[in-house]
Amino acid sequence: MAGDVHNKGVSWEVQQNGTLAPVDRLRNDRSESPTPGLVEGTEPGAGQESAMFVHAQSFEDLTADNEVPTETEPKGDSVLGESVEEEALCLAAEEKIQEDLHRSKEEDVCTEAWRSHRKHVFVLSEAGKPIYTRYGTEEALSSTMGVMMALVSVVEADKNIIRSIHADGYKVVFLRKTPLVLVGVSRTCQSDLELTRELQYIYYQIVSLLTLTQLNHIFQHKQNYDLRRLLAGSEHLTDNLLQMLDRDPGLLLSAVTCLPLASSTRDLVSSSLQAAKAKNLVFSILLAGDRLVTLVRKKDQYLHHMDLHLLFNLVGSSSSFREGEGWTPICLPKFNTAGFFHAHISYLEPASDLCLILVSTDREDFFNLSECKHRFLERLSRRSAYQALKEALKCPSYSVTQVGIPELRHFLYKSKSSGLYTSPELSLPYQSEEEQERLMGLYQYLHSRLHHPKRPLRSVYRCGETENLMAWVTSGFELYLCFSPLGTKALAVAAVNKLLRWIRKEEDRLFILSPLTY
Amino acid sequence: MASGMQEKLYNPSLLSFFVYNPSFGPREGEEEKKILFYHPSDVEKNEKIRNVGLCEAIVQFTRTFCPTKPAKSLHTQKNRQFFFEAEDSFWIVMVHWCSCSVFLKPVDRFWSPEHSKHVFCKYSLIDTVYGAVLRQCYSMYKLFNGTFVRAMETGGVELLMQKLEKFFYRYLQTLHLQSCDLLDVFGGIAFFPLDKMTYLKIQSFVNRVEESLSLIKYTTFLYNDQLIWSGLEQDDMRILYKYLTTSLFPRHSEPELAGRDSPLRPEVAGNLLHYGRFLTGPANIKDPEAKFRFPRIFVNTKDSYEELHLIVYKAMSAAVCFMISASMELTREFCEQLDSLVGPQLTLLASDICEQYNVNRRISGPEKEPQFKFIYFNHMNLAEKSTIHMRKTASVSLTSVHPDLMKILGDINCDFARVDEDEEIIVKAMTDYWVVGKKSDQRELYVILNQKNANLIEVNEEVKRLCATQFNNIFFLD
Repeated sequence: MAGDVHNKGVSWEVQQNGTLAPVDRLRNDRSESPTPGLVEGTEPGAGQESAMFVHAQSFEDLTADNEVPTETEPKGDSVLGESVEEEALCLAAEEKIQEDLHRSKEEDVCTEAWRSHRKHVFVLSEAGKPIYTRYGTEEALSSTMGVMMALVSVVEADKNIIRSIHADGYKVVFLRKTPLVLVGVSRTCQSDLELTRELQYIYYQIVSLLTLTQLNHIFQHKQNYDLRRLLAGSEHLTDNLLQMLDRDPGLLLSAVTCLPLASSTRDLVSSSLQAAKAKNLVFSILLAGDRLVTLVRKKDQYLHHMDLHLLFNLVGSSSSFREGEGWTPICLPKFNTAGFFHAHISYLEPASDLCLILVSTDREDFFNLSECKHRFLERLSRRSAYQALKEALKCPSYSVTQVGIPELRHFLYKSKSSGLYTSPELSLPYQSEEEQERLMGLYQYLHSRLHHPKRPLRSVYRCGETENLMAWVTSGFELYLCFSPLGTKALAVAAVNKLLRWIRKEEDRLFILSPLTY
Repeated sequence: MASGMQEKLYNPSLLSFFVYNPSFGPREGEEEKKILFYHPSDVEKNEKIRNVGLCEAIVQFTRTFCPTKPAKSLHTQKNRQFFFEAEDSFWIVMVHWCSCSVFLKPVDRFWSPEHSKHVFCKYSLIDTVYGAVLRQCYSMYKLFNGTFVRAMETGGVELLMQKLEKFFYRYLQTLHLQSCDLLDVFGGIAFFPLDKMTYLKIQSFVNRVEESLSLIKYTTFLYNDQLIWSGLEQDDMRILYKYLTTSLFPRHSEPELAGRDSPLRPEVAGNLLHYGRFLTGPANIKDPEAKFRFPRIFVNTKDSYEELHLIVYKAMSAAVCFMISASMELTREFCEQLDSLVGPQLTLLASDICEQYNVNRRISGPEKEPQFKFIYFNHMNLAEKSTIHMRKTASVSLTSVHPDLMKILGDINCDFARVDEDEEIIVKAMTDYWVVGKKSDQRELYVILNQKNANLIEVNEEVKRLCATQFNNIFFLD
């Protein structure tokens, strides 16, 4: 089926309900030193005009399942949509090569090494057929996945739902998303809720390739279908997403981080992007690596941060877009699980990190969007903005020492109303991948305590042998700080105030304060 | 005593409890043989088999990921199951509902005024708490019945099933699952603080009695439900202590409170020389019909495996347990001898301790309502101290803080258990209470502060003051 996002489906309505009250506030409303009593929308980093993202008021909103099951029957071709097969194939070609590079799939699933992976993820169909495993091969795990499905069914036979199994040092989490079953086995200290959320990301990743309508259709037709046939070559997207979940704080915070950029430059880039519009263009997104430069959207259309993360993942895990203009169908499941968008993805220059994503509703729009890109580039180059942008790319992050707080090693600050976060680059001792994931683990721990489903907390302070941590959530922001173990509580309290003042001072550079629409 | 039916109503969260051994019915059609005990017993056979089968499957499944550490609990939408391999291949499983209606009593105006009402609460059970309760069930069984394997050796599966039925049928009714909390995880012992002189008096008393009555193998001495001296191994003492303080003592506290003419204290009336009496065994040793049968307990089950008579003798607030090898027969003569020897001495000792205790209390000054409440536990000697728990009774252990705060303590305890290093965690709850957890070496301290407007630094100062007054010789990470 064609990308029918204009098809007024139910989920479409849900996305744009009235909770997204635009936050129109004058600049002088902003206090110099934000206090916890701060109204949402005035915290440092809050956008001035209107929000860019579909707004989740809180982390809990996102995990709640507010989707309406889509019953939309595909029109015309009742057999498996050829288009899907075709589209999946075009992704597949290049990925086959990548697969060999990325995946050490040949691992023996009976070894201690396989068992001791930090986080396993399995996806299976309701018939118990393997669809994906993070480590090892699906074939070797088919009996294990059969057992998983059996456990799910036995519990369901009692009109009950299996959630998780806990053991010393690891836990198994189940997520049932008809027609799929996702299972995570984790040795991290994340809560069940957080692990479930990660499985949801994986589920939406698969939906983004097929649409839920197709997925349902396939399994309604043939319960026993081997979905790997359709997903062949896309495994590295899931692999990459899992790695992002382990390392990228944005996915934890439900937020996106921006390339630090003078607001005058960013505004110029935004307005150039705004000018390069087309009839069916819905979102124009400019990325610098894994950072957002700017996002321009059609009026009244909001992008969910989860969909944006899936786009980040798509761009980040394929090198093919570097070779020319890419054209790929993608379903943005938080927007509408029933239809495809079509994304024009290209780098501004082959060696540059600047990647432009133009999202259209029309599958025939390639040349129109290609044209948009040229107009954007032209406009950008005519002004000094392009040079300034390229200059900014040289330092895509900042050091924590700029804040001027001794003993502060790292922090995450999220402005709740804009859905944007900022954090300095990882310095010693968190530069190795292992240490980076350990630090993320600590943030995940703080996050799960603050957002405990039954016993949420206002703040957490944890003093340990390797670092002192502090987390604080208010109605306007979330703040996570990591101090050296020598830091005292008095220092932490002073640091919070100083840091908030610093972020307020730098917010022009660190956040997108004036997002635009066409 | 409350009837079984009423007690059952009090325990709405327990869905089922069963003991099975997968090796007993390996063939298809013989699955029922695996089940050694199942509560509630009126569940249909196939459902029992299905539930046991699910537990087996879960345990087996998790061995795929860690052969040595299988599943300990299963969370589903409606219930939560806890698994414990008590002995080789013998599994005990406890299944709880996830929600029920609970009556929260108003216990302390200052700490929890707003919660004295009937509420339908979806409880979030903390795994470590209920895992500990399950292990405690087994320890209690083992204390009075010995190990499963021994029972099998003596009388085969039939004997084991009889023992399980006899013990758990009653024991499960006495469990109070809603009021389980962090203290169940610790399973600690409260020690009675005492000056050296009085302590030596007690020790010499114990030595003298053991000398005169050479049958006595072990002795323990308690005052006010708190331990002063024990000859048992720590693990055995911990479960015996649990039995004494939550079951035996509360059942026998009434006679002392009752008036002199009350029919509840017949034997005291006949004995004016001392206040001593048996809490186990014959109610009145003067009674010619009296039978000298005492409960049997099993200790050191890992090595020497000893079966003992448990004699609990009490005078005023002092209680002594005498343990004598079960191979000896206890006669009327022995009991009379014990009564006449121990009774007067213990009465005297009890009033000595009481006096000493009151002197100490006066020195420490009048008690003000403090701004904080705390729980302390030492893993090395199992010492625990709580100012959160008002008292332990047979029915329920009352706490003076809101259950959610108790659960936050549980959460912090889980965080501590994950890493083997010294830590401090300070959190501020949505209700603005501050909760502080400190772990240093083998010791853990949890403090709840009711200073809603305090900041982190002030809270830290407050806890420092508390540590200085209550635990001045213990180092806690700052």
